[in-house]
Amino acid sequence: MSVIVCRQKRAANPYYIEGLGINIYSAQELCYAVYHHPLLFTDGFVDGELLEFVREELGMGFAAARLEQRQKSGDRSEELLFQLMQECDYYTTVELNRLRQTFAALKKLPPLEYAKEKADYLAEYKQYGKAIAGYEEILEAADEKKDIQVTKRIWNNLGACYARIFRFRKAMDAYDKACKGEKDVKILEKMYYLTCLDSSVGLKEPYRSMVSEEMKQGWDKEFQTAQVRAEESAGLKKLQTLFGEDSVRRMEGAGRQVEEWKQEYRSMA
Amino acid sequence: MDGLILGLDLCDAYTQLVCGEEEKSWTLPTVICKKKTEDLWLVGEPAYASALAGDGVMVDKLVKLVRKDGTATIGGVKYGGRQLMVQFLIQVLAMAREACHTDHIRQLVIAVPVIETRLLDCLLGCGDYLNIAGKDIHVISHTEGFMYYVLSQKREVWNNQVGMFDLSADSLCYYEMRVQRGLRQSTVLAERERLEESFSLDVLNSGAGARIADRILCSCGSRLLQKKLFSSIFLTGKGFESLDWAREFMKLICNRRKVYAENTLFAQGAMYRAADFLREKSAYPFICICEGRLESSVTMKVLSRDQENQLILARPGDAWYEAATEVDVILDHQDYLEFMIASMDGKKKKNVRMVLEGFPKREEKTLRVRIRLDFPDDRTMAVTVEDQGFGEFFPPSGAVMRQEVML
Repeated sequence: MSVIVCRQKRAANPYYIEGLGINIYSAQELCYAVYHHPLLFTDGFVDGELLEFVREELGMGFAAARLEQRQKSGDRSEELLFQLMQECDYYTTVELNRLRQTFAALKKLPPLEYAKEKADYLAEYKQYGKAIAGYEEILEAADEKKDIQVTKRIWNNLGACYARIFRFRKAMDAYDKACKGEKDVKILEKMYYLTCLDSSVGLKEPYRSMVSEEMKQGWDKEFQTAQVRAEESAGLKKLQTLFGEDSVRRMEGAGRQVEEWKQEYRSMA
Repeated sequence: MDGLILGLDLCDAYTQLVCGEEEKSWTLPTVICKKKTEDLWLVGEPAYASALAGDGVMVDKLVKLVRKDGTATIGGVKYGGRQLMVQFLIQVLAMAREACHTDHIRQLVIAVPVIETRLLDCLLGCGDYLNIAGKDIHVISHTEGFMYYVLSQKREVWNNQVGMFDLSADSLCYYEMRVQRGLRQSTVLAERERLEESFSLDVLNSGAGARIADRILCSCGSRLLQKKLFSSIFLTGKGFESLDWAREFMKLICNRRKVYAENTLFAQGAMYRAADFLREKSAYPFICICEGRLESSVTMKVLSRDQENQLILARPGDAWYEAATEVDVILDHQDYLEFMIASMDGKKKKNVRMVLEGFPKREEKTLRVRIRLDFPDDRTMAVTVEDQGFGEFFPPSGAVMRQEVML
C-alpha cells in the first residue's frame, strides 16, 4: 500500500501508441501501457520520437539524454525501455523484474507463434487493421502444408477481423480458406451469419449443401436474439434519446457521434 | 534595479509607511475623506482638515470596516470597506511614489495587528488598483513585523529573549521573541499578548492620570519580565512617543537590560521582510513561528525508488495563507490518503486518514488524484481531492472530496 507522486508534468501534446490506438499523456500511462500490454512493446519501442516526447512533453530531459547516450552506444531497445520505466518511478523493482520475465518468456516463443500471439492481441484490442496485416505476414511465412492447424486458425481469425470491419466478402473468403472445403460447424455458422449481415454475400458450394434445415433454424434464432439484444443496447438507447432532442442539439449530437464512429473505425481499420 | 521597497503598518488608528532605500517614513491617521464638490480623495491629516472645514465626508476605522465587510455612504454613494481601503492605499502609496520620483513598487509588505481572512483577501487582491503585481504584495502580522525588525538588528540585541510593549490608542500589547538554536536550523518564536490593562492615552494629559498609567505599566512589566533573561526591551506605539510620564516603568525595564524606543517598528519590520522577499536566499536563515505562520508540518508517506519517503506538503514557519499546495498522486493498493500533522518539536503528532468515498474503483495504480491543500486560517487545513482519471485508459469520473482538519 502506498502513494506515488506524479513528479513529471502532463503532456500537452500526447504520444500516440499505435498498437493500442491510444494517446499517452503521462509517464505513468506510458509505463502502464507497457506493463499491461508487453506483447506490443517487445519489438523495440524506444525511438527518437518517444525520446523527444519524454524530453519535451514529460519534462524528463536528463532521462532522455541518458537514454540517447545508451541508444548511441548500441544498447538493446528492450533495455532502454526498462531504463525509461525505472526513471518514471511508477513500478517497483519487483514489478519491473516480473515484467522482464514476461518479456523473456515472449521472446522464447517460436517466431510463428509469437507473431500470432501479437496479431491476436491486436485483434483483442480492436486494432483489426494491424491484426490483419500481422496474420497476412504469418500466412506468407508459414508453410501451409506443414502448419495446417496453425494456418487454419489464422484464416479463421482473419475472417473474424474482416467481419469486424464490415468487409464481409473478404471475411467469407478467409473462412473458406480456413475450412478448405471441409465441414467445420463453427466456421460454417460464422459464414452463415455473414450471409445474414450482407445479402450480396452467399454461401458457396460445397458449404451450402453442408447446412441442414435444422442448423439453419437454430442459427436464424440465434441471429434474431442477437438483433433483439442489439436493439436494447445502451448505444442504441443513447441514439434514440439523441433523436428525441430538439433539432439543434440533435445535429450537434449527431455530428459528435459520427466523428466518434469515424475515429473508432479509423483506429480499427 | 529601480523601484520602491515598502513596509506599511496598517491599523485602525494610524498608518505608517517606510520606504526602504530612501529611508523615508510617513505616519498618518487611517482616515479617508472625499470632497463634497469634486472627485478628490484625501487621507490622513488633510482628510481631518477637510472634514472639519465641512467640505468633505470622512470615514475612519477602515481596517474594521473591511473586516466586518461594512459600507459607508459618501455623498449619496455607498462604498464598500474594500473600495475605501483600496482608495486609501492608492493615496498613501502615492506619497512614497511622489517623494521618491518613481511609480514602480518592487515589493510591498503590509503589517496588520491581526491576520484575518477578509482583510487578507482585500489587501492581497488590490494589486491591480495599486499598480503592483499580485505576487509582490504580502501581508504579515505585527508579531512577524516585530520579529523581522529585531532580527535585522545586531545579534547582541536578540541573543536572549526580546520583549516589547506596544501602547497605542486602542490597546496595550506585549510581544516576546526568543531564538531556539538548532543543529541544522534555528527557530525564532514570537508571541503577542493583548493586555487587559490597556488605557486611553488621554489619561496621560493629566499628572494623576500619567502616574496611574505608569503604575499600570510597572505592574505589567513586573509580571511579564520577571525571572527571564532579556537581551533587550522595545517600546513602540503612540503612547511611548514621550517617555516622561513613565519614569518608574523605565526604571524597571532598564534594569540590566537595553531598552529601545522605535515608533515605526512594525512598518520597518515589514520593510525588512519586503527586502528579504526580493533576495534569492533569505538573509534570515530561521524557521519563524508566529501569528500568520504555521506551527505544524503536514506530510504524507509516499513511495519513491522503492523506498518510503515523506512528502512535505507544508512546513512549520510557512505563512498559512500562502502555503496552498497542489500535488498529483497515484494510489497503489489503497483507497485512502493519510496526512501526518506534527508540531515542530515533534511532541504533538496526529494522522488524518481520508477515505476516498465515491471515487471509482479502478485497476491498481490507475487512480490518479489531485490533492489541494490550503489553510483557511492558522489552525485549519482544508484538503480537496479530485479524481484526475488516468489518461485515455480511464477518463476522470468527476469525483471530488473536501475535508477540513484542525491542525
